[in-house]
Amino acid sequence: MIGRLSVLFVLAAVLGSAAGPRVVELPSKSPLVTIRLVFTTGAAFDPADKPGIASLTADLLGEGGTRDLTYKQIVDALYPMATNVRVYSDKEMTTFVGQTHVDNLDRFYGLMRDMILHPGWRADDFERVRDDTINALRVSLRGNNDEELGKEELYNLIYAGHPYGHENMGTAASLAAMKMEDLQAFHKAHYTQANLIIGLAGGYPASFVARVQKDFAALPAGPADSFNAPVPAALARNQLTIVSKDTRSVAWSFGYPIDVKRGDPDFVPLLVAQSYLGQHRLSSGVLYSRLRELRGLNYGDYAYIEYFPGGMFRLEPQPNIARRQQIFQIWIRPVEPPNAGFSLRAAMFELNKVIDKGMSQADFERTKTFLSKYVNVLTKSKTDELGYAIDSAYYGIPAYGDYLKAGLAKLTLDDVNRAVRKHLRSDRMQIVAVAKDAEGLRAALTAAAPTPIVYVTAKPQDVLDEDKLIERLPLGLRAEDVKIVPVEEVFEK
Amino acid sequence: MRLTRFAPLTSIVFAVLAAIAVIVPAAFGAGKIFPYNYVQEDLPNGLRLITIPTDYRNIVALYIVVGAGSRNEVEPGKSGFAHLFEHLMFRGTAEYSPERYQQELSNAGAASNAFTSDDFTAYHTTFSKEDLPRILSMEADRFQHLSYEEAAFKTETRAVLGEYNKNSANPEQKLYETLRATAFHTHTYRHTTMGFVEDVEAMPNEYAYSKDFFSRYYRPEYTTIIVVGDVEAKKVRSLVDERWGEWKRGNYKPQIPAEPPQDGARTAHVDWPSPTLPSVEVAYRGPAFTDESPETAALDATARLLFDRTSPLYQKLVITEQKLDSLGGGPSDNLDPELFGAFARVKKEADVADVTRQIIAAIEEFAARPVDGKKLEALKQHIRYEFALRMTNSEAIAGAVARYVALRRTPEAINRYFDFYAKLTPEDLQRVAKKYLIEKNRTVVTLTSKEVAK
Repeated sequence: MIGRLSVLFVLAAVLGSAAGPRVVELPSKSPLVTIRLVFTTGAAFDPADKPGIASLTADLLGEGGTRDLTYKQIVDALYPMATNVRVYSDKEMTTFVGQTHVDNLDRFYGLMRDMILHPGWRADDFERVRDDTINALRVSLRGNNDEELGKEELYNLIYAGHPYGHENMGTAASLAAMKMEDLQAFHKAHYTQANLIIGLAGGYPASFVARVQKDFAALPAGPADSFNAPVPAALARNQLTIVSKDTRSVAWSFGYPIDVKRGDPDFVPLLVAQSYLGQHRLSSGVLYSRLRELRGLNYGDYAYIEYFPGGMFRLEPQPNIARRQQIFQIWIRPVEPPNAGFSLRAAMFELNKVIDKGMSQADFERTKTFLSKYVNVLTKSKTDELGYAIDSAYYGIPAYGDYLKAGLAKLTLDDVNRAVRKHLRSDRMQIVAVAKDAEGLRAALTAAAPTPIVYVTAKPQDVLDEDKLIERLPLGLRAEDVKIVPVEEVFEK
Repeated sequence: MRLTRFAPLTSIVFAVLAAIAVIVPAAFGAGKIFPYNYVQEDLPNGLRLITIPTDYRNIVALYIVVGAGSRNEVEPGKSGFAHLFEHLMFRGTAEYSPERYQQELSNAGAASNAFTSDDFTAYHTTFSKEDLPRILSMEADRFQHLSYEEAAFKTETRAVLGEYNKNSANPEQKLYETLRATAFHTHTYRHTTMGFVEDVEAMPNEYAYSKDFFSRYYRPEYTTIIVVGDVEAKKVRSLVDERWGEWKRGNYKPQIPAEPPQDGARTAHVDWPSPTLPSVEVAYRGPAFTDESPETAALDATARLLFDRTSPLYQKLVITEQKLDSLGGGPSDNLDPELFGAFARVKKEADVADVTRQIIAAIEEFAARPVDGKKLEALKQHIRYEFALRMTNSEAIAGAVARYVALRRTPEAINRYFDFYAKLTPEDLQRVAKKYLIEKNRTVVTLTSKEVAK
């Protein structure tokens, strides 16, 4: 039996879908059609000795030929339609998404379907996609992007020994050892009907849904992927890892696991606190206001309670990277090296303020109003709305906008401040820096001496007074709590 | 359209609260490519207003385009000021402190941001339609009455340095900076939108100059307001008259130094201090953007036929021989003559010279013989679908229009440009290639690591 659900009744339908792909539909009169095929599998299900296999398998399906067509033939066929199939893979979701004009739906869908059901498994595609992945790890992430490097390393450290404990793309060593048969085995075991959510939006014909369901009934039935690892325990004390790299400035990230995900009672309260602290890439958060606007420390400072990869390129999160476990994280964009210690302390100081004093009623009301309207931004296009609907199916909640607005409507300031005190703290954290002078940074942060800020302009006395508190904020770091990792070693093994 | 790649290319956005039909020309290949009716009108002070009602309900996307980018930074030592202004515009007025401005935006659930390019600066906000009067008032206030103290100015210059810093980890930025400085000696395109790093570092001392910059360019005759979404043109006009009508026209006209014609091939090299893959930019001095002849359309088509995934060069170097892991390029489409350029990232340093030769040969081949007419026709079909697939919400429409407004101050430039595109012949491409894609216009910049990546 093939399950089917409408977005409004996601919860009921998910509970009722015992077998077969689930279907999420957003039909409209638009001449554009979006197809999102999401498999609830990913890096969390990589075998321990083959990190990166889920991601590499997905990339090879999306950027390789099919049984009938070479990759070049696929690219040529897609070209006049001005579209493509985008593939991305996270810990628990692997997504294939494409948008086409309805004129071209039949041909486009056929190509997309065959990528997943009938991959070509050609050796030259495999070599190319694997090379691209190794270069993405070593060059694009490790070499060219200190901020994403720091954030990914933070996740790896927090989840060491956990199914999430490796970068999605794997390691250079595991990729080098990967064989085509490994990918084929992963495909067979995890690309199942039980793992599949079929998402359709736009002006597709009524008969189209049944066609997609029938085609994907060719996949093995199951089982659905699942794991039982608990949320990692809190550390005994702060741990700092400095990735040592020849770079101009210092990038920071820090955080810890939280036992809160979308759908949990404390999710909406924590979302309000997170938005107040640092709404991604907007100028509304207190971190942004105090670190960047007031002190000119850097380009921006933000807080997160859900995984948000690619934050330096994206203004809004992409859907379909849902996870059953999340971390709380603060991202401090690169700072001038003399202000590195102060910047870390300033972010912790602001976090402490929210924990100790809570939000004010006015801040609470404003943040609530903002979030209840901003959710519309997140679902601005049909393809985003469809992605969110699929995530809602995964989490077992109503359509995200409805879920959030309902949660905000009944929320009180006490709910938020209580959730903050319960889940947030500024100690027992993993802290990651990417910096050139790693030894100097270690010495500065483990010494008793303060780490004052260097200004280019005079500041009011109240700011200078606060600076005096910040520059001495205890970090609780001993020399043995600080590890220096040469950048060449990150993501290697 | 290519914006400077290290400008904060931000676009924020907005809700389509109800699903609606996207307007697409019924028959592809026929009719105007920009399918929306719009109202374009000028206020007596020179401010231009373009209103585009759409079927996307409840939401309004506002773009305010100022015709000043890094091209306008004519004085030595003052590069990066157009971009700095993008930041300073959030520093408040007597009526709206930065905190109050931010609170109003939050209360409106608005997403607001800005970006700067070579030729223009754009401020954009998206919000619910009932907030239009409030947002237009706030924007009118800051464009006319921006007021910031020297201390706030200095602090903001450090945020800009922070932006430079976060970009600086990427060798592509250095490669691009070097390309600009090599290909241009006189015109302001010799620096990127971020500016020369020494100028960015010296910004804290330029408070007085910043006032001059604002007084020159933040004027109605340089500004176009674009309002897209669930709106009525008459009501928008009346709001704009009320809030923006008193804005005083200026009289400044920059003398942008013309770049003399290039007289021979140029090269440069960047040594990158840490491990990375080698990369190369191959660029040719091109024409200014035009919607009055096929030149820009022809160069865009040439770039796509050369570098898109279907191209023989891409297939050979990326897919078959696997010497590159990325290849791309684009035409020159700025207000003044800029660069037709290709970027390639090379897997092995030993291949750099050979790959560079192959890219040059493929580009210059376009002058030697006409392209296959069938490929050009497939591209034209691609272009029309691509444009239609971008118009998926009011913000996207406003963003697309803003790029052309920056060049010609009217959405009609879109139709004119794509009309030339639809009529392109293989001979057009060859003729334009013979004029621009030739050795004497060429600049090649390579980048390699002093320390080779493992």
